[in-house]
Amino acid sequence: MLYDITLNIAYDYEHPAGASRHIIRLAPADLPGEQRQVVGAIDVVPKPAESRLQKDFFGNNNVELAFFDAHKKINFSVHSRVERFHVEPKLYVAPTLLQLIDDISAHKSLGAWAPHHFLGSSSRVPLDNATTQYALNHVKSNFSILEIVMAIGEGLHRDFKYDPKATTVETPMLEAFHGRRGVCQDFSHIMIACLRGLGIPAGYVSGFLRTKPPPGKKRLEGADAMHAWVRIWCGSQLGWMEYDPTNSTLAGTDHVIIARGRDYADVAPIKGVLRSHGKHTSTQKVDVISIEH
Amino acid sequence: MPVQTNAVPNASISRLLTGYQALEGTPDELMGLDGQIRPVWAGLLSALDAMSPSELSLRITRGEQYLRDAGVFYRRYGPQGSSDRDWPLSAMPVLIDEDEWALINTGLSERAELLEQVVADLYGDNTLVANGFIPPSLIADNPEWLRPLVGIKPRSDHYLHFVAFDIGRGPHGQWWVLGDRTQAPSGAGFALENRIATSRIYSDIFARSNVNRLAGFFRNFRDTLLDLRAEDDSRVGILTPGPMNDTYYEHAYIARYLGLMLLEGEDLTVRDGRLMVRTVAGLRPISVLWRRLDAAWADPLELDENSRLGTPGLLGAVRDGTITMVNALGSGILETKAFLAFLPRISEALMGKPLAIPNVATWWCGQEAERNYVKANASRMTIGNAFATRLLLDHDDMSAPKNSSEFGADSHLEGFIDRGAAHLVAQEVVTLSTTPAFKNDVLSPHPMSLRVFLARTAKGWQVMPGGFARIGPAGNSSSLAMQSGGAAADVWIVSKKAVRTESMLEHPSAPFVRQQQAVLPSRAADNLFWMGRYVERAENTIRMLRAFHLRFVETGSAETLLLKQVSKHLTTIGADPSKGLPLGVVQTLSSATAAASHVRDRFSLDGWLALDDLSKTVGKMVKTATPGDDMARAMSVLLRKLSGFSGLVHENMYRSMGWRFLSIGRSLERASSLVSLLTAFTKDDAVDGSLDLAVEVADSTMTHRQRYAVATNRSTIIDLLALDPLNPRSVIYQINQISEHMAFLPGVDANSQLSPLQSIILKTRTNLTVMLPEAVETETLSTLGTEIAQLSNLLTANYLR
Repeated sequence: MLYDITLNIAYDYEHPAGASRHIIRLAPADLPGEQRQVVGAIDVVPKPAESRLQKDFFGNNNVELAFFDAHKKINFSVHSRVERFHVEPKLYVAPTLLQLIDDISAHKSLGAWAPHHFLGSSSRVPLDNATTQYALNHVKSNFSILEIVMAIGEGLHRDFKYDPKATTVETPMLEAFHGRRGVCQDFSHIMIACLRGLGIPAGYVSGFLRTKPPPGKKRLEGADAMHAWVRIWCGSQLGWMEYDPTNSTLAGTDHVIIARGRDYADVAPIKGVLRSHGKHTSTQKVDVISIEH
Repeated sequence: MPVQTNAVPNASISRLLTGYQALEGTPDELMGLDGQIRPVWAGLLSALDAMSPSELSLRITRGEQYLRDAGVFYRRYGPQGSSDRDWPLSAMPVLIDEDEWALINTGLSERAELLEQVVADLYGDNTLVANGFIPPSLIADNPEWLRPLVGIKPRSDHYLHFVAFDIGRGPHGQWWVLGDRTQAPSGAGFALENRIATSRIYSDIFARSNVNRLAGFFRNFRDTLLDLRAEDDSRVGILTPGPMNDTYYEHAYIARYLGLMLLEGEDLTVRDGRLMVRTVAGLRPISVLWRRLDAAWADPLELDENSRLGTPGLLGAVRDGTITMVNALGSGILETKAFLAFLPRISEALMGKPLAIPNVATWWCGQEAERNYVKANASRMTIGNAFATRLLLDHDDMSAPKNSSEFGADSHLEGFIDRGAAHLVAQEVVTLSTTPAFKNDVLSPHPMSLRVFLARTAKGWQVMPGGFARIGPAGNSSSLAMQSGGAAADVWIVSKKAVRTESMLEHPSAPFVRQQQAVLPSRAADNLFWMGRYVERAENTIRMLRAFHLRFVETGSAETLLLKQVSKHLTTIGADPSKGLPLGVVQTLSSATAAASHVRDRFSLDGWLALDDLSKTVGKMVKTATPGDDMARAMSVLLRKLSGFSGLVHENMYRSMGWRFLSIGRSLERASSLVSLLTAFTKDDAVDGSLDLAVEVADSTMTHRQRYAVATNRSTIIDLLALDPLNPRSVIYQINQISEHMAFLPGVDANSQLSPLQSIILKTRTNLTVMLPEAVETETLSTLGTEIAQLSNLLTANYLR
């Protein structure tokens, strides 16, 4: 599947920001076997005084930008053509939870995608009895990891309402959980907490969703902004799979990946500290257009 | 007097040791297992015994006086917020024989080297995890394992440069390591202060007691830091979290002692991968930072984004290898308590031998066999957070299950351990040795632990010959922390031969230290500038309040036209006079103190104490002072204290760049308040008495009488308070002062085109010089006020950002 992706993000500050430094993660990733960036460019206005690219711990592209002069606005725009490959899921041999625990303890590595990073609390996903209990209510002891993921994903889809007005990017996971509503970020964080609560390694993926569904299919929630979903470790044989709890579906060719980490904090699209006070507003516009089929 | 080498029977030192009895099963530093005094104490004890009780208490007072005069304090946190406390020195040092110390020296140097290898592996190849020496979850879940730093080699090739170990002596006389301090160990500066105070107490005795000196250790470490720089024009700084930190005093003290810049995160910025200090002369490179700030706070962009103490982009400079951090960011992971469970095996694997000084027995509950052992033996263990980095005896630990309600819903210790398994660690409860401390004029045994400091130098690890002893209340080894009421003591490493006396000064690198201090960070300049402004603002308000209350006493009413006018003016500057001492004054002075607290390394101690005294006095007065005579007197007291402070600053302070910013701040504030005084009280329709009040508030009544043969009228007032270049209480005098200071500021070149800042000051000066009193209208004053405000803005933009 080939996509043309455009993304525009604009920040407006009430008072000019004196100087700022940001890390942005806005462009689709190049992932051998999964996704290929054909062409791509990021434009930033005003022009940053410094700009550099580096890989973070999880292998994501981090672009670090610095502005030294006062500015009242920043515009980021991304234009990218991406090919997303179809990967056949091999989930017919999904292990049980007990087998998974053995796999984890046999895994003696701290490499970026070792399961150990994705089990404990992380800055946006505290482990909590409430989410663990919710997860336990949806699973049976003989379930495979795949069945657990599906059961929790469908449970969330049933019990929670997609509501962009209910939460902001700063809303704590547990607040969204108890409020039973939110957006892709909240759905993903809650699902991660549920899975980690059971001892299943789970991470966070940020990316884009195809804007217009294929003919005859329903439009997916979250397609008008940047999207997020969940990544699950299914044992040493199967490795990682991705699931979109907002739409209760496996992530596939409709999902274009930007970055992966433990939770939103690892992959936030724009991070940065401003020497400014007062309010700021931001707008975001995303188009993910399929250019074949 | 030579130190005696024979054991001294207790009877011969009867008075001080009356009732001194080592606790059952607990070793004592003073008294051997055989009940004899250890030889190393003999000299000090005989000298003490030869002293009368009054002489001893006089000597102790001398030591305490030093600590008060030096302003040594620590910040204590409590339910009512935090406060500065006097330093709790135990007057009796801990004495250790040099031969025994040599063993500690070797053992701890080996341990430091072991820790260096462990941390290099954790941020490098991770062979310890791969080979099963450390469970992966202990690293992956560890808040001190900083993922952005994985794979980054330190510029100096080393992660650890300055570490500390907390050690204690266990039941059979052997030393134990209680905890590893690798993040940003504090206490070395306090150890120095303990030494100075203790040597004041025992001056003559100390001099002949063959005590190893501390200065050499610091000198070598300073030289090491200077050698770590990338180039000669870059600098070494101490990075502090700022005055709210419990050991900020020590940061400022060490900075002064070693001649290094004291920096906060805001002082630094990154340009193209290089770390720079914002100074009044622009950005200057820095290549070595002795970090007293926990790593997580160091860079809000890549580490904890909630940090307001850090420098965005700092990690970029680390990654580019342009800055050496002492210690490397991420080294704090070694403090993780659970590591103590694994270090014995790691030592065997990496060094091929067991730890020379064992650490306290520790079990990580994440492993089944260990967990079961802990459950079975919990009554003699302390169970706590595996990732905690505090010392064993600090208060973040849960202790053995005396009270089962601590353990949550099922109130079973076993359930508690099972649920938290991977996050729990158990440690054997250790009984620490005791050491003598004074209590009611005699010595009694108190539990003790030592913090020992090690620095990496060109010749390998060097151990400070001394340390920081924590002394607990008698009979209780569980409250050694100063936060919970313990005391601190000096540590004497006693040689059998005479020792070399040393100081920081005898080194050829001394002139270099001076050069290091020559740059003034913009934030320090900003704080000095505002300190000058706030103190002057307080003075102006206090003079106005005094004038108000003196008149109130005369007339017995605040409802006269003049007092209504004064009251209105005071209210606009935040000091409504109707109810005693207004809070505005308290706030202004506390702003001055806050500004001063950020520049304690550049500010004389006497000046600091005077300012602190002023704040405290105002704090008391605000509760008691009543309108009228009482307020008038109180304001006079404050004015005397203020002039004491100003005298100290302006008579004694070195004419550094910092002093100029402080002076400019004072002059700007005075000029600005004179303009607003003139605006309010010299209007054509001003009420009776306004002009006299203006002269009085401007402290120029005498001068006016001498200079003018006529009664006060608008022209004489304007002339004296705005246009007379010889009156220090005139606008033009202050503008001239500012102009003189400006000539010394960086970037000012007499031959180049005038900067906006220079032109505005020249314009204002010229206008005031040629102006005639009669021509000064309300509008003229308003323009002048605007110009002074512009001057302040331009100065801030040019130098203080």
